[in-house]
Amino acid sequence: MSKIKKICNKQCLSFTLLLRIIMIISIIIALWRRDWVWVVGTFIGFFVSILPSLIKKDAKITLPWVLDFLIALVTILHMGGRLFDYYYTIENYYLVTRFFMSVLVAFIGLSMIYILDEHWDGLRMDKYAMGFVTVVFTMAVGVILEFVKYLNVTGTYYVKTNQVLMLNLSTDTIAGIIIAIIGVNLIKSGKFDEITDDFGNRIDEMVIERFERREKEN
Amino acid sequence: MKRTKLKSGEIILSYTLKTVMIIFLIISIWKLHWEWIFGCFLAIIVSFVPTILKRNYQITLPLVLDILITFSLLLHVGGGLLGAYNIPNYDTLTHFISSFLVAFLAFVIIYILHVYWDGLIMDKYAMAFLVVITTIAIGVIWEFNEWITDLIFKTTEQWGYDDTIKDLFIDTIAGITMAIIGVSMIKRGSFDEMTDELGKQIDKRIIKSNREEKNE
Repeated sequence: MSKIKKICNKQCLSFTLLLRIIMIISIIIALWRRDWVWVVGTFIGFFVSILPSLIKKDAKITLPWVLDFLIALVTILHMGGRLFDYYYTIENYYLVTRFFMSVLVAFIGLSMIYILDEHWDGLRMDKYAMGFVTVVFTMAVGVILEFVKYLNVTGTYYVKTNQVLMLNLSTDTIAGIIIAIIGVNLIKSGKFDEITDDFGNRIDEMVIERFERREKEN
Repeated sequence: MKRTKLKSGEIILSYTLKTVMIIFLIISIWKLHWEWIFGCFLAIIVSFVPTILKRNYQITLPLVLDILITFSLLLHVGGGLLGAYNIPNYDTLTHFISSFLVAFLAFVIIYILHVYWDGLIMDKYAMAFLVVITTIAIGVIWEFNEWITDLIFKTTEQWGYDDTIKDLFIDTIAGITMAIIGVSMIKRGSFDEMTDELGKQIDKRIIKSNREEKNE
């Protein structure tokens, strides 16, 4: 069983590596097309996608491979949409990107709740309540993202129609529900603990224990 | 002594709002506004739900909840009947009050679950965070409801992109406001006082926990 898991992990890691190579190619294409906004954009995306590995190196944090993979995937989908105009040439491409981004948000949300539940005295939560919080968290982050788009802080062009807004929010909700269902089942089977165990312990050592110690001192 | 005074003040306010609602019903009958006669009648029934719950089922809702329900219904009925929706930002005010009511309800439910249910123990700040995101999420569900209604019945419940964003923003502000008020009330102990009776009744009927055991 552990052999299968090792092979799977190895393949997933290779896939993540492949995605990063595609991102580097994206940066080269952006340079070649002299699309400077997107040179910066792709570079930030690349940096975000390798951030887990950088953290791992400096702070000895092992991020769940799912998280690593999702960050790389979302960044590539977004960059592809901007650089190759897939957002405008492929129908509903923006919904696919949005869906995977929401899956990432939902996974981060569920992982955080689970880790806090395991390590922090300030939170004890039933697994179904965790599923509920994952859904509302994903929906709320989706709304915050829409506020950012509305304010247009980045100066990027977005299609601002009610229909697109409602479709985006629907996508967030569906992604949140899917991750909540998968997550609750993984928690039941004990697999979610395996995925987040190492990361959770590090977060506990680095943040939660210090926070609790400071609270006790006060 | 101070608490009793405050409670009687809340009772007076609650009944005053209900009386105004009855006055609205009389006005709508006088003007023969059939839509608002029905609206007022429905609103009066809903605003008396807390009283009915207490009398028939011994479920005591916090008086603040009673007042908020009546006030938000009153604003909506008054807006339609007296044309107050034409006043600038009146719609924003009614939306804020409704969202605040939702946030308040969410806080009450989360707090009661925290006190009585074994499946939930939360720090007060975590509760506040959950209230904010729940209020936003319920706001989104409300927008889905309007969107689907417009798609099916070809109505214009949603006025457009800017209006939907504004509604979601108001939901967020209402959630944050309630979260701040709720946390300070928990710190003072007044939130526990306010939800104590309802919590015990819910525990007795639904949760069936052992509070002492949990607090240990």
